Amino acid sequence: MRFESLVVHGEPEAGPCGPTTVPIVQSSAFAYGTASALEDVFRGRKVAPVYTRLGNPTTEALEKRLALLEGGVAAVATASGMAAIATAVMSIIRSGDEILASASLFGGTFSLFKETLSNYGVTTHFVDPTDVAAVRSGVTDRTRLIFMETIGNPRIDVPDISAIAAAAKEARIPLVVDATVSTPCLARGCDLGADIIVHSTSKYINGTGSAIGGVIIDMGRFGWRSDKFPHFAPFVKRYGEFAFTARVRKLIHKDFGACAAPMNSFLLIEGLETLALRMEKHCANAIALANFLSGHPKVNWVRYPGLAESPFHEVAARQFGGRFGGLLAFGLADREGAFRFIDHLRMAKNAANIGDVKTLVIHPASTIYCDYETEDKALLGVAEELVRVSVGIEHKDDIIEDFAQALSRSAD
Amino acid sequence: MNLTVNGKKTVIADKESLSISGLLGELDVSDPLYVTVELNGDILERINFDNIVVRDGDEIEFLYFMGGGRGQC
Repeated sequence: MRFESLVVHGEPEAGPCGPTTVPIVQSSAFAYGTASALEDVFRGRKVAPVYTRLGNPTTEALEKRLALLEGGVAAVATASGMAAIATAVMSIIRSGDEILASASLFGGTFSLFKETLSNYGVTTHFVDPTDVAAVRSGVTDRTRLIFMETIGNPRIDVPDISAIAAAAKEARIPLVVDATVSTPCLARGCDLGADIIVHSTSKYINGTGSAIGGVIIDMGRFGWRSDKFPHFAPFVKRYGEFAFTARVRKLIHKDFGACAAPMNSFLLIEGLETLALRMEKHCANAIALANFLSGHPKVNWVRYPGLAESPFHEVAARQFGGRFGGLLAFGLADREGAFRFIDHLRMAKNAANIGDVKTLVIHPASTIYCDYETEDKALLGVAEELVRVSVGIEHKDDIIEDFAQALSRSAD
Repeated sequence: MNLTVNGKKTVIADKESLSISGLLGELDVSDPLYVTVELNGDILERINFDNIVVRDGDEIEFLYFMGGGRGQC
């Protein structure tokens, strides 16, 4: 099946009849008729649900669909995108290790790496993700993973993921890629060359801002049998290509407990089924809005890889098959100008989210990054005059007219 | 050949040489790509599934750690 059909159907299920939507199995635990039957499940002789923190049929349906769409061997759904990132990273690193991460990161990820993990003996070095030579030279003998975003948020830069994957392979360390903004619709994880894909499924996968979730997808091709990863040895022996997912599921995901709620898994599957259609509209509307903003006298700059003058146009066109996503950023005169613009919008909503069908805007410097040091904001590309836009699927003329009137009135 | 598979006595037709991979097919073990095989108390490396031969009296466990799907690349 092609992508548009896979998002709707996943793998065909056997059986002559059944519900056309995935049932919500809203149960904490699962009962078994005999003691030996439950023992068989706990021992691993049979794959069956035991307790929803460890696995749930609704969540498993979501995991299967997402693994299929990314070309991975297995997936683990989590309570949020940050839970997915934290769980994936903590499954790889140990105290004393280093992470090499993009300097163009979502604020939550930056905080996890810079603040939280540093308290546990893990050091993160940040590097320009669009400078492959800098990425190569940033790897030390203690680096245990490279972390990138397919489209940086809110810098809206586009690293050459396949080139960075080659650098990671040379260094014998895994490349973990946050593909939230591009989704498997624009590029599959296995085609990008990533070893592990993470998503905040709360964004484009859900699409309607109705559920929080995350997912870790294992491409199953990284060589964990390595002196750099001795803690993976028992998992490699037992689980072969599933070593990473096994370590996630049997240790970090189980122990930290950031599991997906069945109701959220249902909502995420419902949203996922329209992903291909929505992404087409997000991309078309974003290029239309970017072109409008580029020609507007009050707009000082626009960051959108779909614009021919973007320094990331070529790599994005190659990486994402001629589509450029639904996220853009633009700069007004200053912070006050950005505030006035946002205050005058009539249709677009001022909210800390992306990937909704509704057009959303935010002033990142005063919201998501309000507690960050000035130098960290500069590192992450969070300028005071920057407005981030998650372009929705409304009629493009309504979006442009809303922005036009807000820009016009923001001089008042 | 008499084996104990997941705690149950199992009889299979004698063969000159039956590998772990062959046994997975013989017993139609579900999700062979996911399964972990324990032979007489030792976990086997997957890369050895084709080389290790089962013998009369062996105790074998087929174990799974997860659901979570399988994609294609």
